Amino acid sequence: MESAIYMPQIAADQFLGIFIVATMVLIFGVGYAASITLSKMGFIAKKWQLFGYAFWILQVYTLYDLGMRIHSSPFTTKVLAVAMLAYLFAPHLYFYLIDEAEKRYETSEDGQ
Amino acid sequence: MSKKSASVWTSIRFWRRSAAWVTGTATVLLIWLTFDTMGQISMGSDADLAKGIKHRIPAATVINYHVDYQFDQKRGHEVPVIGEKEKFFGKEWSAKDAAALLHHGKLTSQAKNCMNCHTLLGNGGYYAPDLTKAWLDAKWNDGTMTGITGKNTKEEAMAEFLMHPSQYPTHARMMPDLGITQDEAVALVAFLKHMSAIDTNGFPRNFSQSAKRLEGGTHAH
Amino acid sequence: MLINGELKYESQKLGMNYFRVALVLFGAQLLMGLIAAIQFLYPGFLFEIFDFSVSRMVHINALVVWMLYAMIGSVYYMIPDETGEETVGIGLGKLAFWILTAAVAVVVLVYIFIQVGPGNESTIWFINEGREYLEAPRWADIGIVAVVLVFYYNVFATYMKGRRTGIMTVMVANLFALAGLYLTGMFFTDNISVDQYWWWWVIHLWVEATWEVFVGTLAAYALVKIIGAKREIVEMWLWIEVLMLFGSGILGLGHHYFWIGTPEYWWEIGALFSSLEPVPLVAMFVHVLYDWGKEQGHCESKGSAHALNNSPAMAWVTANAFGNFLGAGIWGFFHTLPQVNIYTHGTQFTAAHGHLAFFGAYATILIAMMYIGVQGSYGIKKMTMTFKTKMALTLIIFGVLGMGVALTIAGYEQVLVERADLGGGWDAYFIAQDLPWYIQAQGWRLAMGVVTFVGFIYLAWDLLTIGAVESAQEESEGAAAAAAA
Repeated sequence: MESAIYMPQIAADQFLGIFIVATMVLIFGVGYAASITLSKMGFIAKKWQLFGYAFWILQVYTLYDLGMRIHSSPFTTKVLAVAMLAYLFAPHLYFYLIDEAEKRYETSEDGQ
Repeated sequence: MSKKSASVWTSIRFWRRSAAWVTGTATVLLIWLTFDTMGQISMGSDADLAKGIKHRIPAATVINYHVDYQFDQKRGHEVPVIGEKEKFFGKEWSAKDAAALLHHGKLTSQAKNCMNCHTLLGNGGYYAPDLTKAWLDAKWNDGTMTGITGKNTKEEAMAEFLMHPSQYPTHARMMPDLGITQDEAVALVAFLKHMSAIDTNGFPRNFSQSAKRLEGGTHAH
Repeated sequence: MLINGELKYESQKLGMNYFRVALVLFGAQLLMGLIAAIQFLYPGFLFEIFDFSVSRMVHINALVVWMLYAMIGSVYYMIPDETGEETVGIGLGKLAFWILTAAVAVVVLVYIFIQVGPGNESTIWFINEGREYLEAPRWADIGIVAVVLVFYYNVFATYMKGRRTGIMTVMVANLFALAGLYLTGMFFTDNISVDQYWWWWVIHLWVEATWEVFVGTLAAYALVKIIGAKREIVEMWLWIEVLMLFGSGILGLGHHYFWIGTPEYWWEIGALFSSLEPVPLVAMFVHVLYDWGKEQGHCESKGSAHALNNSPAMAWVTANAFGNFLGAGIWGFFHTLPQVNIYTHGTQFTAAHGHLAFFGAYATILIAMMYIGVQGSYGIKKMTMTFKTKMALTLIIFGVLGMGVALTIAGYEQVLVERADLGGGWDAYFIAQDLPWYIQAQGWRLAMGVVTFVGFIYLAWDLLTIGAVESAQEESEGAAAAAAA
């Protein structure tokens, strides 16, 4: 049962920060996905996409902050960094798929 | 549907296959990990206990030993420490009797539905204290409960409490009388002592310092 | 919900029967929850008559069973739509329904009146198994397996006979896994770690994998049915969702193996895969809204005002998209990392997550399916929201959110005082239970529970009456249009 993982102590006054930062990670994540989605759907102007990227940067920062606060291991930190890069591309892949799928399947209009 | 130039990314077939492969891979990994985990969490043997060979889940005869919960520098959290032999209900239990006792205790814990008020290994209801390390709780060791129940040993006090919980109230929220018999109570105490010797990766955290910290009082008012 | 005259298929009528029982059990679940919530504040309430262990057991069992009923009902309802066939063994299916309902009634009566038994095998066989969520005694387990086999035969045989849509393919494969997993929770072992290891196979692989895929399938069906989304696109996304849900959910099981005696490597596996679990929920969320927006756009360009033919159902589907992400995603992510979970495990945090996730991910979409059922039963072309629909939506969502927030505050206080500060144990537990923050949070939880219950009354009332009201309105509008022409 050799283990290199170390379970850090967390003091009582650090929890509020951890929960708030964890929420922020998800809120910024949704903010990013939502601004890209809404602008691609045409509900808001294209320029709002820039705000989306700002959300993404904030998300990266809050996730990094969360990792620091819970003392995550170097390996986990690297995995998180890769995950964040993937998340940057996810909505674009998503809308590429939507566009392509529509081109392919919507041609047979009123099929349903 | 029959367009030749259509991208693979919009192919339902492609995604169906990918979903099947990902699901299959995850399932195979889970099954493989399950085999490994099952090996690590099967109960140890009485012989290993006597030799001091550690198992995550010790043999039922662990009830014949002193159990403690101490901080382990290397692992960074508390772990159960099996110590010297001690009597359990005034005697040493044979491997067969201890196993039968644990079996009866586990059955009783289910029959009396402990888990819908208490948590066991942290899972269950949240209406009553966690029982993972109940055997090691300061309440049973500092004379409080032995005093209230008028018993000499911790195990006798626990058994008495389990049989007549609402006669020994310590809080407005009491444990109800569940019709637990003497035999069932002894078996339940064995079940609790065995559970306290399980290596839970340090859960509940700081449990071993609970008594010391309680003296200082909480500063969270 | 009272009649189903307009339904052409027996399978759909059987589905409506399942919905009816589900609605009754939903009510029972909420009543039991109210009793349990009162007991937190006034521990003397029904003490040694109907203890917390009993009220909570019936509360969570009614929850699981009403959801399974509504899920089975949804499947029976969609089979003819998807396959174009009547369910193959419909007679057997009806028999199974009555057997299952009788068995559920007996089990609940035994829970309520006998409660606990002696510590031997007879209790496990006939009274309860004492394993949270899977309390059903063994005779009932075996009965459930038999009934589920009949159900699965019906689904599979009808699928093989009729049209094999992608939605039905996912349904058939997923139901196989869902039913099979139940078997892993049926045996007894003295080793509590092994016990909980397999127990989580049922609980986790149901609610965080197979049930989620089930919801994805229902949402796909609902999108095609309510807003006329393009089937190929919906099905393509359904496969992507299956990929993401199973890809993250199956190994996300690791987050239950942090502290039950299992090895440390589950820390890393659980943290990594369960952090990915919100990703498919975001995708489902965006997908539902995007499709709705797009179809709405199509309709507006064609000059018709509304893309929806069933706005109450669509409202609940939308609530599902939000709720799934909020309850399962955010509240799950809150406490899924082991560094945090060692403090939150076994506190009201879990209860907060449980309330929000079960409601957001499952109750919402199953209620939507009930509305789709009512629409079909009365042959309504375009069903709109009544005052009662809106009241039910508002009160239930507000109530459950309120309970979630209250329980989160209670859990937060437990984490700080009982765990981080005092280190757990008997005295630490009760010190935390007695602090004003905790007691007030429990008070708010009860108040919000009452709000939820009032919302439920509106919901039941609406489901019972909306069909007659809306079909009468449609008829009079039709007559008026005919007269005008």
